[in-house]
Amino acid sequence: MEHVELFFKSIFIDNMVFATFLGMCSYLAVSKKVSTAVGLGAAVIFVLAVTVPMNWLLDQYVLRPGALTWLGAEYADYDLSFLSFILFIATIATMVQLVEIVVEKFAPALYTSLGIFLPLIAVNCAILGGSLFMQSRDIQTLGLAFNYGLASGIGWFLAILAIAAIREKIRYSNVPAPLRGLGITFIITGLMAIGFMSFGGMLTGGEEKTETTDEVAKVEVQKQDAATEDESLAEVSQEINNK
Amino acid sequence: MGLKEKLHGIKEDFKGKKMAPAFNALHTFLYTPNETTHNGSHIRAVDDLKRTMNTVIMALIPVLIWGIFNAGYQHYAAVDAANGIIREASLFGNFFTWDNFAMGAITVLPLVIVSYLVGLGVEFIFAVIKGHEVEEGYLVTGMLVPLIVPVDIPLWMLAVAVVFGVVIGKEVFGGTGMNILNPALTIRAFLFFAYPTWMSGDKVWVHGAKDVVGTPDAISGETILGAYAQNSSVVYDFADKFFGFIPGSVGETSTFLIILGGLFLMFTKIASWRIIFSAIVGAAVMGLIFNGVVYQGWIAEGSKFYGLMNTPFWEHLIIGGIAFGIVYMATDPVSGAQTNTGKYWYGFLIGFFSIMIRVFNPAYPEGVFLAILLMNVFAPTIDHYVVQANVKKRMKRLKLKTA
Repeated sequence: MEHVELFFKSIFIDNMVFATFLGMCSYLAVSKKVSTAVGLGAAVIFVLAVTVPMNWLLDQYVLRPGALTWLGAEYADYDLSFLSFILFIATIATMVQLVEIVVEKFAPALYTSLGIFLPLIAVNCAILGGSLFMQSRDIQTLGLAFNYGLASGIGWFLAILAIAAIREKIRYSNVPAPLRGLGITFIITGLMAIGFMSFGGMLTGGEEKTETTDEVAKVEVQKQDAATEDESLAEVSQEINNK
Repeated sequence: MGLKEKLHGIKEDFKGKKMAPAFNALHTFLYTPNETTHNGSHIRAVDDLKRTMNTVIMALIPVLIWGIFNAGYQHYAAVDAANGIIREASLFGNFFTWDNFAMGAITVLPLVIVSYLVGLGVEFIFAVIKGHEVEEGYLVTGMLVPLIVPVDIPLWMLAVAVVFGVVIGKEVFGGTGMNILNPALTIRAFLFFAYPTWMSGDKVWVHGAKDVVGTPDAISGETILGAYAQNSSVVYDFADKFFGFIPGSVGETSTFLIILGGLFLMFTKIASWRIIFSAIVGAAVMGLIFNGVVYQGWIAEGSKFYGLMNTPFWEHLIIGGIAFGIVYMATDPVSGAQTNTGKYWYGFLIGFFSIMIRVFNPAYPEGVFLAILLMNVFAPTIDHYVVQANVKKRMKRLKLKTA
């Protein structure tokens, strides 16, 4: 249940593009054609799904305060979290190189159409953002971290897929000259974000609608929900047993 | 010399001037233009954009009239209820009365007037500046907008939202037929997120309820969805819900009239029956899933989703704005899916998400308009893949033939 909830939450509610507006550079630049967008989206899914769990391991066993205890008791009070950025980026850059080699080998057409943007994934804020959110949201297990990375990637993929299709469609629209190109794309992104707001506050009950930035409160409420649901399930099963 | 010839004469005078589009818009509304085409082959048909728009407006008129009477009826019913008198709705006894009409007219008609004045004003300004003909796209939007807002919405809010919807939702894309989101829904979404206190809750659906909050005369008019979302019981019976003696946005209450309008639109082939049909199926499927969850006992009675999950699936279809949304909004030919296969998917997902948002998102008691906006966003994607699938199929056939 926890997995399913995190999965859908990361795709729709905390969508990388429409909720946090991360990864905009490649999102705006590579969304002219659906086929290219699909390629880049797939690359982002892959990179996120690999780097988030890897960075989770780094965070658990190297970076966070007290993470080095496994080396020995004398390392227990080391706090290396100031190294998060540089280590996360290093992991991401390595993984992107790997993806690039694989894509060049197996899909040369995609490689040429992605051009400079594939190496640029290394500095795509959505990728680093995924790892940093993983850290700040305190994701508990490796499985959940993988789930989170994968789902965030899928959310980003859906966003770029939708805008690419829209941009292919509005190619025939008579957009006023000053807005052509990036201008209209920004407006479309804003309008799409309105569409995605349908999911905002979903599952949380809407009580903390005014304080959506307060992540902690949200998580706590959800935990409580999960707890009450578990209790009710237990009650139901007990009733069945009694009968 | 009749009016017709005079107008044609004036048109010649205006030709090439700045105000020509503004004049032509009024002119073509009255008469068919006297221009003849010069080259190419042509099909003579009368179902132009204006005719299409007018057909939709005709389908909306009964709903509007019902909305006017209902606004008055709900007001007096709520006042009665506050004084302890329970009303039994009867169509000619206490619904179609002059009191109701007068009360409804002074609350609803200003909405219509403001919507049209502001919206058409923006359209005229854009047409004059850009020098193209005034497009008729706003005729339907202008009628839809007053029907999907609460009766007591302040007029200046409506005006601001209409300007936003027409300029950002439509004109920046080049005008009618180019927009990606339904302009009427863009306007409602803008109102909803900018002024939430005026768009939801239990005090906005009945005229005058907001003014008397906290006084001894306080009246309340909660929508059925609002009541279900709070797990409280509902006092309206099936006939009330189906024929529309319930509080709600101006035009959404009477499912019966909406069905009639929908049949009319399908008969005239303005609205796609594929979208309407599959949207109903989608909503029913999602409703059935939730009913199943309750039936299996997977959810506790105290849970905040229980009330709406326990609502029978067919009842989901007649309460709230889902009927109105499916018939008049989802079928918008511009922002919806264009391919036939795509229309099934598009409609199905609208119904599906509508009920899902309605149940799972207590922050938004009405999910229909957001679900339609969401599917507007994804309609081009659906179309793209339908077309690609077709291309692939034909390629295969070609290969088979040549091989």
